[in-house]
Amino acid sequence: MAKVGVYVCHCGSNIAGVIDVEAVRAFAETLSDVAVARKDLFMCSDSGQEMIKQDIRDGLVDKVVVAACTPRTHEPIFRGALSAGGLNKYLFEMANIRDQNSWVHAQDPAGATQKAKMLVASAVGKAAKLHPLEDKYVDVTKAALVIGGGVAGIFAALEIAKMGFKTYLVEKEPSIGGVMAMLDKTFPTNDCSACILTPVMVEAGNHPNIELLTYSEVEDVDGYIGNFNVKVRRRQAYVDWTKCTGCGACAEKCPSKTPDEFNMGLSNRKAAYIHFPQAVPKKAVVDMTHCKSCAGREIGTEPKISEKTGKPILAPCEKACPADAINRTLKWDPAGTIKEIQVGTIVVATGFQVMDKGWFREMAPDNKNVITALQMERLISATGPTGGKLLRPSDNQKPHTLTFVSCVGSRDEKYHTYCSRVCCMYMIKQARLIKEKYPDINIYMHFIDVRSPGKDYDEYYTGARRMGINFLRGKVGGLEVLPGDNLRVLAYDLDACTPVEYESDLVILATAMELPSTTRKLAQTLGLQFCGSGFFKELHPKLGPVETATEGIFLAGCCQGPKDIPDTVSQAKGAAAAAAVPLCQGRVKIEPTISEVQTEKCSGCGICVPLCPYSAISLKPYAEKPRAVIDITQCKGCGVCTAACPSAAIVLHGYEEDQIFAQIAALTA
Amino acid sequence: MPAIVLDSEKIKDSVKRIMEYGGTGVLKCVQCGACSAVCPGVKAGFPILCRMLIKKLLEGQFEELVEETSTWGCQACNRCTEVCPQGVRPQEVVFAYRRYQASELAFSSSATTSQMNLYGTGHAVFTEAGPLREKVGLPAKAPTSAYDEKAQKEIQALLDDSPMGELGLF
Repeated sequence: MAKVGVYVCHCGSNIAGVIDVEAVRAFAETLSDVAVARKDLFMCSDSGQEMIKQDIRDGLVDKVVVAACTPRTHEPIFRGALSAGGLNKYLFEMANIRDQNSWVHAQDPAGATQKAKMLVASAVGKAAKLHPLEDKYVDVTKAALVIGGGVAGIFAALEIAKMGFKTYLVEKEPSIGGVMAMLDKTFPTNDCSACILTPVMVEAGNHPNIELLTYSEVEDVDGYIGNFNVKVRRRQAYVDWTKCTGCGACAEKCPSKTPDEFNMGLSNRKAAYIHFPQAVPKKAVVDMTHCKSCAGREIGTEPKISEKTGKPILAPCEKACPADAINRTLKWDPAGTIKEIQVGTIVVATGFQVMDKGWFREMAPDNKNVITALQMERLISATGPTGGKLLRPSDNQKPHTLTFVSCVGSRDEKYHTYCSRVCCMYMIKQARLIKEKYPDINIYMHFIDVRSPGKDYDEYYTGARRMGINFLRGKVGGLEVLPGDNLRVLAYDLDACTPVEYESDLVILATAMELPSTTRKLAQTLGLQFCGSGFFKELHPKLGPVETATEGIFLAGCCQGPKDIPDTVSQAKGAAAAAAVPLCQGRVKIEPTISEVQTEKCSGCGICVPLCPYSAISLKPYAEKPRAVIDITQCKGCGVCTAACPSAAIVLHGYEEDQIFAQIAALTA
Repeated sequence: MPAIVLDSEKIKDSVKRIMEYGGTGVLKCVQCGACSAVCPGVKAGFPILCRMLIKKLLEGQFEELVEETSTWGCQACNRCTEVCPQGVRPQEVVFAYRRYQASELAFSSSATTSQMNLYGTGHAVFTEAGPLREKVGLPAKAPTSAYDEKAQKEIQALLDDSPMGELGLF
């Protein structure tokens, strides 16, 4: 006969505020198999755990049931108490009487107390039939993958690499750098973004433990924590990067023009181009969708021979390259090449996109002088389309009156209900930079309210007021296009309670940050979940901010939610530390609560094989007959095979048949 | 300006009553002011519309505003609803408050005249245009309820049966 100890937790007033804890404890005492039943204000406290340990040491209990919060956060704690008391930690069962009871039935204390009694009876029924189980371990591939080469990905990769682990850094663009490389200066210190980022990019590019895989995307991931197999697809650059020196001669000679993504479409780049001047790696690519195949040099064909000279006729880019890195005879390969890599952990740092202005019809989005804030960054950047001179797009003239509009697509039921967090600060930054350089320009900034929580942020904002930048509380209602490409701003001054109207030469929209839709496919591949805001969901909003529901996959930067550079770097370093833990340990634990085939009972029918959602089951010969075998590294313990097996040959440890029947019996008694 | 004394019971009552009159989105308002930025009524000098009306209602000033004439400045253009980022539908709040004002007979005499016109002719604004119509070659009597007793009776039956009828104007 089992000696089950039942411990009912008050959880302060979380449980005891609704459920009659003493009634539940007294009820537990009446159950057969229960040796002791106790209660405590906080069972997870030292004294609460000590109660369990002492009862084990005294020989009073050999199975433990804790009726408390949730196994999601507290099962490991109580399992630890069992181990410390000298009992196998899997002889433990938790009754969830907080998350699934007192929190949801706060209006019905009597019903909640009755439900708690049933849950305890069910847990006791199961606990009485538990067997000891042993943890299993598998070795870890001591390498990491970082997806996304923005500031988050760069720092995550550098941290892991510096700890001594091989790190692959995958970036879809030809260069790492991400959005931060596009920014002019950074708040609240006005450091030049390129000046502080470029050295870090170079360090990542040169680090012996980092392998940059740029112009590449993650195609497929399978495996599990410690042993992920990843397929990375590298787009064909049509330039031999082992030879390319990044001189840019091909781009100079290329005649084909297309809007430059790095300048947010404010200028053109060539079809043969280098991503941006400080690119790492500084390598050229030929963008085949815009290539004109000059001189009839279709990619993948032999060049024509000149009748005059007898020499092959080459395209201008080929001719220009002093390193012979461009060879248009190479096969056209739009699919690119697949590289397979093995890693132990993965950091996802895929970043964000800003909403296009086209969504906001009331903001005259077709007018050239209405621009997004990221376009403004390029417009004031020394490497931007105007070389850092503030000229408005419609006529390349210096504007006299500037308008900043906040919360465009953020805090808006029609688009995104969340606050994008960085807009207030970067708008103030842009306004300050412009006011410093051109004190004569009038700047009007419209906010619902100014949000500047952060170290030195509010001082940065009040400083902007002192510089003569005009702040108005009140959301801009709309813009009207006037002759001469000026705009009439329809605004409202909340403090004066009056509508405000004026003419503006250039309007900057702080459009919302959002997860790019292209990232959705990656989420499916990785098994990532989305939060209500549409970003990737972390394991726990406070205590698991870099972890995900998939073990071994971590988050860094704006793919988890909008954040500024300091927060992004902090999270990246945190994610790197968390991702390095399994690599340092060298092995990962596999919980024994998974399925196992009793080979002598298996008939080899194979029904379980296609049913397994994790492809963990295969048929292998055993005494010359096919028998099902479960790969412990793939099994997640879902129980589908156990339920389906016609020979009842598969056991799901920790959820065995007699244990589940005992639970049902208790619940229906 | 005298201070508003905040009173939680009055605020609750104000919110409940404006919602009952049809201003159901009032609690969603974050006071951003976008509605008032585009409101032609506010621009024309009727300040207690859109954002300000909602603010005052949320401070419990329900009965205090009954004589406020700004609400009648709303032209029902609905631009406020288009630009509102929170789905408040400010115009519906304005109309809800008008319903309350009407129930208290708190509207201007010009509004009464147009209601009487509506009851009598089926037009809120009606001018006899017979000679003008004949001058441009049209029949003197336009084909409207103004010359159609049956249509007038139907309109009157509808108005008598509406909340307007209960005011005893007609």
